[in-house]
Amino acid sequence: MSLTDQLLAAISIYGLPALFAVIAIAAVGIPLPVTLALVAAGSFVELGEMRLWQVIIVGSSAAILGDQIGFVIGRWGGSRIETRLRKRKGGADKIARAHAFAARWGGTGIFLSRWLVTPLGPWLNLTSGMTDYPWRRFFVWDVLGETLWVVIYVLLGKFFSRSVQALVDVLGSLVWVLVGILVAAILFWWILKSLGNSPGKALRRRPA
Amino acid sequence: MMKRLNWKQWTAIAALVLVLLVTGLFAVRTFRRAIYWRMHRDEVIRPWMSLPYVAHSYRVPPQVLYEALNIEHPPRDRRPIRQIAKEHNRPVDEVIGTLNEAIARSRQHPPNGPPSPEKSP
Repeated sequence: MSLTDQLLAAISIYGLPALFAVIAIAAVGIPLPVTLALVAAGSFVELGEMRLWQVIIVGSSAAILGDQIGFVIGRWGGSRIETRLRKRKGGADKIARAHAFAARWGGTGIFLSRWLVTPLGPWLNLTSGMTDYPWRRFFVWDVLGETLWVVIYVLLGKFFSRSVQALVDVLGSLVWVLVGILVAAILFWWILKSLGNSPGKALRRRPA
Repeated sequence: MMKRLNWKQWTAIAALVLVLLVTGLFAVRTFRRAIYWRMHRDEVIRPWMSLPYVAHSYRVPPQVLYEALNIEHPPRDRRPIRQIAKEHNRPVDEVIGTLNEAIARSRQHPPNGPPSPEKSP
């Protein structure tokens, strides 16, 4: 009996409280099959066992709660790491750069990692906390992104309610394709930038 | 400094190639799963599914499944198959096997005339 089967069985028997627990724990960063949980909840809505608005409210508030916990852990742990880093040579510089990066890209990152590139979500909770990203802004982006995530997956589950498992198999690997494309784009952009800043360096390194 | 930068660049290029390869593999997997889904509409019955869900997914009347397992059909049955199996002291796989047979039989000889026309999901 797999963990997935046990969790979904629990959601089927205990309903919304079980759904809340699974989603909140996963949002903190424990890998649980939340996509399947939400899509299955959508199919339960179609079967008349759950109500759509209840699933959406419970699902998104669970995710938002889990994200806040991740953010707090990041802020708490981050201040400790920062104190250590500041003592090192160039540490303060690195911290300032990380904070500037978070201030510029934080909102987009938080929003997109809620519903599109979901495997990155727990990491961004931690790093947003660590880099002192303003909590109010984090919360607003989080609420928007998580609600969108829950609505998308629950409605997919409702519309494809006859083939939940097959849909999740497709979605599960599609999300990793999106993560891969994002990471590749960031790497490509970094390589281009670093080549542009140091013209000819790559050539000069070749042995004469 | 110069050497360090190049080392970083090479690492980034190697990482990019690796990421692209892995992404490609996942893209192929996604595509194959999507094709599989289109070809085989039926879900594989899993222990977490309730009998009403299986009946809904396979478009058979729930009564067919309850009769096959020789159990009562309570009004709002949320019990997953694994719990039903436990309650009746039967292995989960055996219960799933019985359900699959019942579905196959029901499709060959539908209880209420011809099967309802296929609806897109």
